[in-house]
Amino acid sequence: MSDSAFLSLEKLTLAYGDTVAVKDLDLSIQKGELVAFLGPSGCGKTTTMRSIAGLLKPKSGRIRLEGADITHVSANKRSVGLVFQSYALFPHLTVFENVAFGLRLKGISGAELEVRVVSGLNSVGLTKFANRKPAELSGGQQQRVALARSMVMEPKVLLLDEPLSNLDARLRLEMRTELQRVQRDTGVTMIFVTHDQGEALSLADRIVVMLNGAIEQIGTPEDIYNSPASAFVADFVGFENIFPIENGRLRAGNGPIELAGPLPHDAAGLAWRPRMLTLGSGPFQGTVRGASFSGSAREYLLDTPFGTLKAEVDAALPAHCAGAALAFDLPIEKAAKLKRFN
Amino acid sequence: MFHSRAEALALALPAAVFAAVIFLAPVVILLSEGLRNADSWTISAYTGFLSDPLNRTVFLRTLKLGAMVTALAAVIGYAAAFAIVNLPAKGKGRMIGLVVLPLMISPVARTYAWIVILGRTGIVNQALTSIGLTDEPVRFLFTETAVFVGLLQLFLPLMILALISALENMPKDAIPAARVLGANWFQVFSRVILPLTREGLVIGGTLVFTGSLTAYITPAILGGSKILMLETLLYQRVTVANDFVSASVIAFILIVMSFAANLLLKRLATARSKR
Amino acid sequence: MNPRLFSATVLFLVAAFLIGPFIIIVAASLSAGETLAFPPQGFSLKWVAKVFEVESFRESFAMSMLLAVGGTAAALTLGIPASYALSRYHLPFGEAVRTVVALPIIVPGIIVGLALLRYLVVPFNFNITLALFLAHTALVLPYSVRVVSASLNNLRSDIEEAAVLLGSSRAGAFFRVVMPNIRSGILAAFILGFVTSFNQVPVSLFLSGPGVRTLPIDMLSYMEITYDPSVAALSALLAFMSIGIVFLAERFLGFSRYV
Repeated sequence: MSDSAFLSLEKLTLAYGDTVAVKDLDLSIQKGELVAFLGPSGCGKTTTMRSIAGLLKPKSGRIRLEGADITHVSANKRSVGLVFQSYALFPHLTVFENVAFGLRLKGISGAELEVRVVSGLNSVGLTKFANRKPAELSGGQQQRVALARSMVMEPKVLLLDEPLSNLDARLRLEMRTELQRVQRDTGVTMIFVTHDQGEALSLADRIVVMLNGAIEQIGTPEDIYNSPASAFVADFVGFENIFPIENGRLRAGNGPIELAGPLPHDAAGLAWRPRMLTLGSGPFQGTVRGASFSGSAREYLLDTPFGTLKAEVDAALPAHCAGAALAFDLPIEKAAKLKRFN
Repeated sequence: MFHSRAEALALALPAAVFAAVIFLAPVVILLSEGLRNADSWTISAYTGFLSDPLNRTVFLRTLKLGAMVTALAAVIGYAAAFAIVNLPAKGKGRMIGLVVLPLMISPVARTYAWIVILGRTGIVNQALTSIGLTDEPVRFLFTETAVFVGLLQLFLPLMILALISALENMPKDAIPAARVLGANWFQVFSRVILPLTREGLVIGGTLVFTGSLTAYITPAILGGSKILMLETLLYQRVTVANDFVSASVIAFILIVMSFAANLLLKRLATARSKR
Repeated sequence: MNPRLFSATVLFLVAAFLIGPFIIIVAASLSAGETLAFPPQGFSLKWVAKVFEVESFRESFAMSMLLAVGGTAAALTLGIPASYALSRYHLPFGEAVRTVVALPIIVPGIIVGLALLRYLVVPFNFNITLALFLAHTALVLPYSVRVVSASLNNLRSDIEEAAVLLGSSRAGAFFRVVMPNIRSGILAAFILGFVTSFNQVPVSLFLSGPGVRTLPIDMLSYMEITYDPSVAALSALLAFMSIGIVFLAERFLGFSRYV
């Protein structure tokens, strides 16, 4: 672990009863970073987040914040904020009192309380709703109250559980901008959990892809999108045509694929997005099984000697009908080289 | 959650221990008393109890009244609940309030009213005499009929409430759909409403049946020493004869019948709905 | 038959059957005559006044009040933590705890009263009032657990975690964010418990002694002596008390959804 790490997880193992959810996880996060935990449900991302918040005691391993071991510091003394997926606003308190809740517990009252709560509400644009109850607000407004409630505590780390999943498309864009602005203005370290690759790619500085309680890949959105490290990550970020390399040869389900050039010697597999296939020319022959038009592109399902492949071309090109025979190629130079094949 | 198992147990145990010590333990000891004779275990108290024709009469009467009250409560309950569910919101709220209300009134007060109604000079007898049906007042008090009516009035609300919630949970379009498919009202009831509300019927039925079996106030006031039911018999055995063995036997019968009714009705409900 | 007319007839008959006896009791208690009769012979409040003059009624009313208020409060003190543990934690013996706590509903009250008399009061010379109090507490416990659990299950548990992350202790989170949100459930449980305990007869049958008697038991024994309308008057007064409580509860809590 580097000494400059702001938050670090060291050999963290988490379990519910006897069910191990996360095993020997190592991760360090820099101050001011915006990190996404990305993965399918059950991968351990939420569990990891809850342990950072102090809501779940690790079975073993350590959590350090600014160098100090906080593994056994209780949740109410950690300076870690959490915006719940359901927002978890207190239904019996007004918006003002929801935001004031933590400050009051710190012993802040009177004018200072007023100033801090109002400025917190102001920063999310909800000053005029101060006297409403949570039930009288829309989902998006409730989430902004939850955000303000956490932020007025000036946490060192702000955790967000699926922050965009309960919002409609328009609010999603709004909230994304809001989160980036809060992060820019305050410099708070943010970690959010999501199962949606688009959300992670568009919002995070760094993405931690998780699978089965372990980290599958860590990287910038560009890294993850362009150079997935494993077949799982490739599939998760939209590579549809994925093949392993076995004994120096690319393998399809029913036999080897002989490509034009030499295979990269350090790869365990190759993956192509539908866009990366060459259609209309090339050494291989396929039959169009199905075609669909999505406005900007045409998608084809091709029956080939290597199984069914998915290809996508510009919509401006002429269409092929089902049953048509097509030449195609899997260009080696475009393929993502997978380090692991799982 | 982030509570430990020990903490959760510490919160739950006081209530459980209290109920076990105050309720369970004394009852278990009482039940064991009916199974002991000097130093050995025996069921002679049970055979002895049931060989007495008076006891058998009381036992069968209790079962009979329980079954009859439950059956009639179900018939009236369906009609009333169906009518209530189909009322507009405001009227529905009021009717439900009216059904809940009697549950809050002391059963002693509710049962006492029947003395005014069914007594020698009560309303029913006045009516019968004035239209010339009888010359002599008819004896209603201290008959099975009086106990039956009293029990029905006491427990009908439970059945209606259970059926209202069952009917409300029924898919809204089920009845129109069945009608469109050509079912007559009898078929709609037997093939759509009954299967879909069976659970509510079971809940209501269990409450009414066990309530009637274990009723004390109604048979005490309206049945007196003539029309004994199991609870009044138990009271009599203890206070008149200091007979704790019979009391233990009756207690056991009451508990077994309550549980059995519960299980049987549950079984019926699941068996039918699997079909 | 016209279905609407049929419905209206059914509703009228059921309402008459359920509420009619209560109306008759009220009318009979306002009679000026010496015996219980309907229609009442003349109008007077003398039987209502008599209720307040009978000393045993006053004493047993106080006893019933004490048992209903104290027993329900005690049941809630035991029941709220238990409901909280049952709804927020998967206890290994959760079902067993639930069953034991629910027993007082299933086991006939008369048996419990007898058992307590025979194995607690008689052999240990245990205080009868205290035995009554324990019995009524146990009797109300299932209702308090059921109603409080229902309100807890309607309340998201993550608000407690949110409170803790904002600096509250866990006990603090319970009192600051859980209690205020289940307050009406607790009040409903209290009312239900109060009414159940106050009207309870079988449990108290065997647990009475010199100066220790609940009001319903006192009414039963008064009835054995005389059929004068004072019991009707008392019944009517009690019914009005219940109606008043339930009306207020319905008004402010929407009580009927908890019953």
